[in-house]
Amino acid sequence: MNFHIKRTFESGYNDNNQEFMISGKLRPQAEAEMVDLMHDIDQAATQVRGTFFLNVKRLAYVNNIAFRALSRVIARLSAREDLQIVIVTSGVLGWSTRKFSAIAAQADNVSVAEYDRDFYPGQSFLEDGGFIPILRTQTRLTWRHERELLAKHGLKPGMQVADICCGIGDFAALVNRAFAPARLLALDHSRSSLDYARKVAADFGMTDIEYVHGDASAIMIEDNSFDFVTCRHSLQIFDRPELILRELFRICKPGGRVYVTNEKISQCMGEPRGDSITAAYVEVAALFAHFKMDLEFGPKSRRALIDAGFADLRMDSFTVANTDGDPQEFAEMVTAWQDVFLNEMARDRGDSPELVALMQRGLQDHITAALHPTGYAGWPVWAASGQKPL
Amino acid sequence: MCSERAVDLIEVSMGIHDFSSEWMHCDRISSYVARMVCQTRADPLFSANLFSSALNELLEIVFLNHGADGDMTCRVRQMGDVDMIEIALPCDDETLEFYRDVVGSLDRHDIQDLYHAALFAEGQRDARLGIFELAVDYRAKISVLEQSGRMTLAAEIAFGGVQ
Repeated sequence: MNFHIKRTFESGYNDNNQEFMISGKLRPQAEAEMVDLMHDIDQAATQVRGTFFLNVKRLAYVNNIAFRALSRVIARLSAREDLQIVIVTSGVLGWSTRKFSAIAAQADNVSVAEYDRDFYPGQSFLEDGGFIPILRTQTRLTWRHERELLAKHGLKPGMQVADICCGIGDFAALVNRAFAPARLLALDHSRSSLDYARKVAADFGMTDIEYVHGDASAIMIEDNSFDFVTCRHSLQIFDRPELILRELFRICKPGGRVYVTNEKISQCMGEPRGDSITAAYVEVAALFAHFKMDLEFGPKSRRALIDAGFADLRMDSFTVANTDGDPQEFAEMVTAWQDVFLNEMARDRGDSPELVALMQRGLQDHITAALHPTGYAGWPVWAASGQKPL
Repeated sequence: MCSERAVDLIEVSMGIHDFSSEWMHCDRISSYVARMVCQTRADPLFSANLFSSALNELLEIVFLNHGADGDMTCRVRQMGDVDMIEIALPCDDETLEFYRDVVGSLDRHDIQDLYHAALFAEGQRDARLGIFELAVDYRAKISVLEQSGRMTLAAEIAFGGVQ
């Protein structure tokens, strides 16, 4: 990929994806300032057969002078009957999809694809409002371990902190209370989750958390902004976690740390009926893999952080267990998993009744183990962090 | 649009000569004002991006269409969910006529077609384009008020309802 650094924007063509990307800000005074960019787009398109992607998902600002120039080059390209043009926008920017859709309306072979919607396969299962109680329970269960781990991984009071993929914001609220950060930004791409997060924060009188709608793979935040960046249980549900890690690295200050947690769901365990439990979770991991989510990511976190450029790696694992506190909470969490995994995901995959029964039996055995007076039930989680080199 | 009392949020003022000496002033003022105004909103980045996009278009129009001497003052007030952007500027008869003509055309039933025609027209850019965009895409209520050699271009926008 060849990138040309311009004053307010970057652009480049990736021939592997037949994609021309423009990011940053386009607010020229005259169309003449757009000549080089238009030429680059034209040149890129000459190499394309089939579909040409014009990626503007990180183009944060465009004035009408630049927009008219872009529309003209797209109109020129749309005259090529062999070419389909897809303009990739972002729902994170309130104007982007609407504005570029006006260009798409001008020609049959030009369309707009809102990137965020396509980037999170399977995520709808986890965004449904019914999943919220289980997320709160999970956070409550992991917080017992993470509160101490976070300090070990470098989180201190007074830091500038970002929680990326914050979900319903309960972890951010706990961090706010326990670590009193100087700034706390919590970002997620689910508006319904953020609405819930804001409501919870308001209920608890917290007015100092910035809840922000955003795309974790294209965060609209300046480089080197935060001392400590967290991203929990999220790399495992995106099919391209390296894109998110690249952004976590970018917004982290040099010397700051990025902290991630992930699972290895197949290692959920319990006794009695350990074999049944293990067999079920191996199938659950395969079920998630079908929807391009890697719930086995936990132990891979270290390698992923190293590949993303982090140094001074710290890695821990902990097991959330029925013996931590209230076994009923653990059982409720697995009950909610049953609902999502079996009633929604397995159904959508078209699983056989036998396979559904195997998973159903194993998860039920996990619940039984959690509530059994002499039983043990565990859910292992990996926490990893790395420092952005100075 | 709302019966609540307006709250002053921010005011930026500079001589029109200075303002129109550098195109990037539009970008810098719109970015700064948007960041300040939106910092306490529910989604500060999302709001500031929309706010800056709208304000920048207004400032670019003022950059190109203004009278000879005096100050350009950009003031933002808030009334309920509505932001009121008011840009006061020096004006002559020609400038005032331009703004009055644009605002007068916003009531047309085919304003969306007019906007898209201007957006995709060949040749010189239609000077009214930015105001058309605010009226159509941002559903802004735009008005012009003249007072002894100066005028105020005002836009009332409920950014929460834009998307």
